[in-house]
Amino acid sequence: MNARKVTLLAVLFSSSFLLACSGPQVRYGDAKGVETVNANYGSTDLQMIAESMTRSLLQSKPISASKDAPRVTLAEVKNKTSEYIDTTVITDKIRTQLLKSGQVRFAVSISEMQNQVDELKRQNQTGLYKSSTISKTGNMQGAQYRIEGSIASIVKTNKDVKDVYYVFNLNLIDNESGLIEWADEKEIRKTATR
Amino acid sequence: MRLIQNGLLLSAGVLVALLVGCSSAPTTKSQLGDGSQNGVSTSKAKLINAEILNEESKSIAVTDIYYKKEGKNSSFVEETRNKSESTSASAITPQVIAVDADKANSSALTGGPNSSAFPVKFTNLADPASTSSIAAQTPDANLPKVADSPVSNASSSASSQTVKKSGYESKMEYGEVRYLASPIRGVLINSGYKVVQAKPSVPTQNQGDEYFDIVQRIKAGDFGDANYVLYGVLEEISFTDNADDIPGTKSSSQQVALDVVVDFNLVDTQTTQIVASFIASGGGHDVRIDGRDNNYKPSMAKLMKEASLSLAEDVAKRLQDQNFVVANPANDKRTEGRNYKRRLDDDASSLKVYGK
Repeated sequence: MNARKVTLLAVLFSSSFLLACSGPQVRYGDAKGVETVNANYGSTDLQMIAESMTRSLLQSKPISASKDAPRVTLAEVKNKTSEYIDTTVITDKIRTQLLKSGQVRFAVSISEMQNQVDELKRQNQTGLYKSSTISKTGNMQGAQYRIEGSIASIVKTNKDVKDVYYVFNLNLIDNESGLIEWADEKEIRKTATR
Repeated sequence: MRLIQNGLLLSAGVLVALLVGCSSAPTTKSQLGDGSQNGVSTSKAKLINAEILNEESKSIAVTDIYYKKEGKNSSFVEETRNKSESTSASAITPQVIAVDADKANSSALTGGPNSSAFPVKFTNLADPASTSSIAAQTPDANLPKVADSPVSNASSSASSQTVKKSGYESKMEYGEVRYLASPIRGVLINSGYKVVQAKPSVPTQNQGDEYFDIVQRIKAGDFGDANYVLYGVLEEISFTDNADDIPGTKSSSQQVALDVVVDFNLVDTQTTQIVASFIASGGGHDVRIDGRDNNYKPSMAKLMKEASLSLAEDVAKRLQDQNFVVANPANDKRTEGRNYKRRLDDDASSLKVYGK
């Protein structure tokens, strides 16, 4: 009897040891699939916001009624939530989708200016490049419009429920006149229960 | 009857000959190759024959750009008067107040510290020739009295008096900027005008505003047989050197600019009527990233070239606006309207008579 118990224990021990050594299981999932791990800001929120804003922007008058693709630049999207949200990911995603449509041209944003300036300096001021091939200083194109906005949230919790409300605002502003030519918002409500 | 038959035969022969003659012409052309032949004939019709153009062309003289600049010379005069019982003598001891020579000779064109002005000649007061004329020209009332210190000698029969005077003497300077007008002449040549070389205008010693009297110069024959004279007076020339941070970067940009503004008038030499009048401007610009940090010195020659070229462009635009020049016929296929409304206006059939 004792021998059987010892054998059983040994089998259990060795199997648990083997399980521990095998590590986490990895599998690819659908990047566009709905993610509901918790109520925090996630990939599905990002995709919903970008898709909604791009569709609305492309239908806006300054873009749809323009003969030439208007020049646009990305400005800041402020994160007014209590979470850490990298808002540049949202604007980059919107920019990618807009560029794919071919209806908009984008000028480099402020956050990308250092690379642009460094490249112009390298070509124009080092004396290393053939003058006919140089991208000359002073020929950058200014953006007619800039895109800026904000994301804010309202979070309410009790011991069983966590309710999160996100609102994402985006504006298209005419740089010359200062007029807001287009604005839209995307609201998202997420509720997590125990 | 025979006569009628012969007549009919003759007329039939003539008709056949005519028909053959007519039909042979296109055959000959096709032998030459119609594609190239047609191309040549049409292009010939459109091309402007240089000789014809020269015969048709009106001539124009473009003066160098006049300028007038007020200069200020600092002056200091020390005068000592000695008085005795019977005679009095005075001695003038001119001195020069220290003036930085570099500053005096620098100008907007060289980008020196005196860059908002044209070169101002500072009279050397130590030179007796120049000082005697200044002393003679400059009334005492214009010069503030710095010190008036009579010095009495111990002797009652003699005394000496020293008067020191210092101040600024205003001096108008007239002249012509020679390098701004050449691109304008080029534009007019391109437009089909014959450009006549004008005689240079040399200011006299005590030159006044009559320097700008273009009618006097026309009458004096300074512009040969030119139909028109385009003359410009420099309103302002400015050199700026600014540096600004580039947002979003650690770099700054140094922006250097040379801007000129010129007042132009186009005068018909026959009637002395002003047929076009405008202000044109030109600018040369240079941008250097982190230029200030690296003590960058811009090329004034490059800025000047850019400024004169852009001035010429602006002049061409203004002349077009005022229907004087249409477009460069060499570049423009609308050859019918190539030359100028002005030329058409000057045709005898459409000549306008302007009353005084």
